[in-house]
Formats: sequence, structure tokens, C-alpha cells
Amino acid sequence: MKCRAQPWLGTLVDIRIADALDAGPLNATFAAAFARIAAVHRLMSFHDADSDVARINCAPVGATVTIDAHTACVIACALQLHADSGGIFNISCATRLAQWGGLPPPERSLPPYGAGDCGLLIGTDGSLHKTRDVLIDLGGIAKGYAVDQAIAALQQAGVISACVNAGGDVRVLGAIPFAIAIRDPATVTGSTVTVDLANAALATSATYFSARQIGGQTVSALVDGRSGAAITSRRSVTVQAADCLRADALTKIVMASGDAAHPLLARHGAQAFIL
Amino acid sequence: MNIRTGSALATCALLASGSAFATQYLTAEEAQQVMFADATAFKPQPLELTAAQMRDVQKLAGLPARSVQWRVMSAWHGETLLGYVVLDEVVGKYELISYAVALNPDATVRQIEILAYRESHGFEIRSPAWRKQFVGKSAQAGLAIGEGISNISGATLSSNHVTDGVRRIAAVVQVALKK
Repeated sequence: MKCRAQPWLGTLVDIRIADALDAGPLNATFAAAFARIAAVHRLMSFHDADSDVARINCAPVGATVTIDAHTACVIACALQLHADSGGIFNISCATRLAQWGGLPPPERSLPPYGAGDCGLLIGTDGSLHKTRDVLIDLGGIAKGYAVDQAIAALQQAGVISACVNAGGDVRVLGAIPFAIAIRDPATVTGSTVTVDLANAALATSATYFSARQIGGQTVSALVDGRSGAAITSRRSVTVQAADCLRADALTKIVMASGDAAHPLLARHGAQAFIL
Repeated sequence: MNIRTGSALATCALLASGSAFATQYLTAEEAQQVMFADATAFKPQPLELTAAQMRDVQKLAGLPARSVQWRVMSAWHGETLLGYVVLDEVVGKYELISYAVALNPDATVRQIEILAYRESHGFEIRSPAWRKQFVGKSAQAGLAIGEGISNISGATLSSNHVTDGVRRIAAVVQVALKK
């Protein structure tokens, strides 16, 4: 097993390749997979002023913003999940995260948080139309998409067996199972459950790293889009799905609803458990 | 989903100190080769910052310069300087991360590779004795870290410490080595 890790997407991205490859092809394969992760990072970072996300956030209401096809794909999926989840999954929640110090304050003034619609439309040509003053953050879905992109790069390079893990959003390529330890939300540095994952993705969400007190209120990096309230459950949610974008996003829906049998899981061929 | 409960991990005692998760990715030598594949030689170029340079680093990085001494290798292709590799460690609340930063001669960052990741309970991470067994050893053999069990799924642990460390290193190279 060859392992590499690089810091991207605000976390460490770990890639493991089980195939026996010579140093040259191995390095080229790792480089190709990390390049896909880096591309998603550059397009979808909240922090980087040149990213699609930052340009959307700066754009005035009514503007049409030209964005990369990858960004359009992620936002289109996010808007669909917003509609399907009754507003639980909401990428237009960055106002809250900035208010809570989880994201840096933007150059512009913070728009008010509004539940309702996300304020974005993706046109048939892939351009984005901003219909409301919102701040978006793709932190709840882009890591999963980046993992899927890296897996695609590994597959295109002819890799048979590999695993990509972006800060807990994991996907395994191939039929050979990888053992994935799920953090115990009580001890955080230990685990009590291990999942054997093959040809599938697994993502976990919890607040044990992000929860903190602000003005007597507990906040976290997870927002219930319906109310704009912080999710402060001390439990963790793990979702297995065919791809990591869906596994990543569905964890937030299960977390906010507290329902490990939420109907959206079955619709996406996914399963969940709460620890 | 095939879920195993119980402590599959506990059977893989990685380190006497009881670290729960750890992965050795690359030795410093391997990281140099990966980041400067066309280099024909690497030369140790340990760096000692002057007080004035420390102040400049702090100004540039917006962070305390933290250390006077820096572990630097220069990468060469024949007589041509390709750039530098700087080794460093950062400590978070739960994690200790060794990493290598490759920089171009103009001090721009070329690539970052994690060398080793170790995680433990807060009290151990904060204990200088526990950290001492790892710090500076990522370049050497003899630090046995088990393989194959360290895929963790959990809430995302931020990499802010590494990001800050890379910013500091870029400033160090800009102040002391930029051509």
C-alpha cells in the first residue's frame, strides 16, 4: 500500500493505492489524483478571492456569473438536495458560519440569513444567476465531489484498488475492501466501529471538532437550513452511498433530521447510521 | 453496509503511547525525490535566522516566526538550483503532523507533502515527552508506525495548523534564501 497526503480543502487529503506500481507511474498517478483535488479547491474555496464561490458571493443580486462546469455541477446537485430535503441542506448558509467565526468575514457586508430558496439558479448553459443576496459555502458537499474526482482520475490511470479520504469523506475504488474506522464521537481520538468499504463512498459528519461557545450560545460548522440554527448534537452521522458527493451531503440531512432512515437515503441508494 | 463493532483498532497497537491513529507517508528523502523528481543532488542547508530576519518573517507571514533554526535542503540539477525543501512539524489539539514544503528559488510554494500524521489524546499531544519521540524523526527509519488501519471517517479536522506553517515557511525562504 502506498500512501500520500496533502493539505487541500481545509483538511488533509489522504490517497492510498494498493496496486503494485513502479515509482514513476505511481508518482504520476498520485499527482493526477491530487491535481483533481487541487482544481476543486481552487474553484470552490470560500477563502480564495479568485474562486467561483468567492465570485458568486461578491456578485450583486441579478448578476449572471460564469462558473466552471465542475462548480455548476456541485451547485446544481446542492439545489436539488435543498428542494428534496425541504430546505435542510442549504449552501446559502455562509452568513451563519461567518457570524459564528467558522468562516472569515467577507470583504462585503454580511447579507441576512434567509431560509427559503437558495437564491441561485443554474442556467441550461451552466451559468449561474443570483436571485437573492446570499453568501454560499460548499463546505458540506465539495469535499465529497473532490473525492469523486480523484477516484475518477485513479480509474482513468488504470488503478484497480485505491482509497481517497478528504477529512472523513472516503471513497474506495475497486472490489478489495478497505477498513474504515469511524471516530467514536465520545472519545474523538478512538473508534468503536469499523466499516469494510468496497466500490462505494462513506462520509461522517459531527460537531466534535467544530462546536464552540459564542456569547453563551453553542455553535458549530453544521447549519440546519430550515431555521439557520447551529446543529449541536453530540452524535455523529455516517452515510454510505455510491459516490462521495451524495454521502457527504446526505450526512447533513440525517444530522439535522435525526432520522437514520430519512426517505432521501433510499432514493439515493444510501444507508446511514448514527453513533 | 458491513459494520464491525468492537475494537478492531485496539489489536493494532501502533505505539506504546497508545496513539489511536497514525500514518507514515513519506520519509524526508522520499518527499524530496517526489517533489523535485529531476534533481541530481540535495544539499543540507540548515538555516539560522537573525533577529532582524525573525521580525521580517513575522511581518510577512502575519505569524510569529516561532523558530530560529530551520531544516532546509537545497535541490540541484547539476549546477542549477531547482529550489528548497523545508521540513517542519505542527501540533494541533489532537494531532502531530510532520510535513515537507518544496519551494522554488523565488520562494513560491511548489508542493506540500505530509510525511507523517499521528493523533492522540489531548493530554499526550500536549506532553513534550510524547512529542519528543517523534519530532525530527520523520526523516529517519526506526520510527515504527503500523500500516493499514488508519483510514478514519469522522468530522473534518481542520488543516489550519499546516496552512499557517506553510505560510511561515514561505516567509522564511523569502526572507533568507530568495534569489
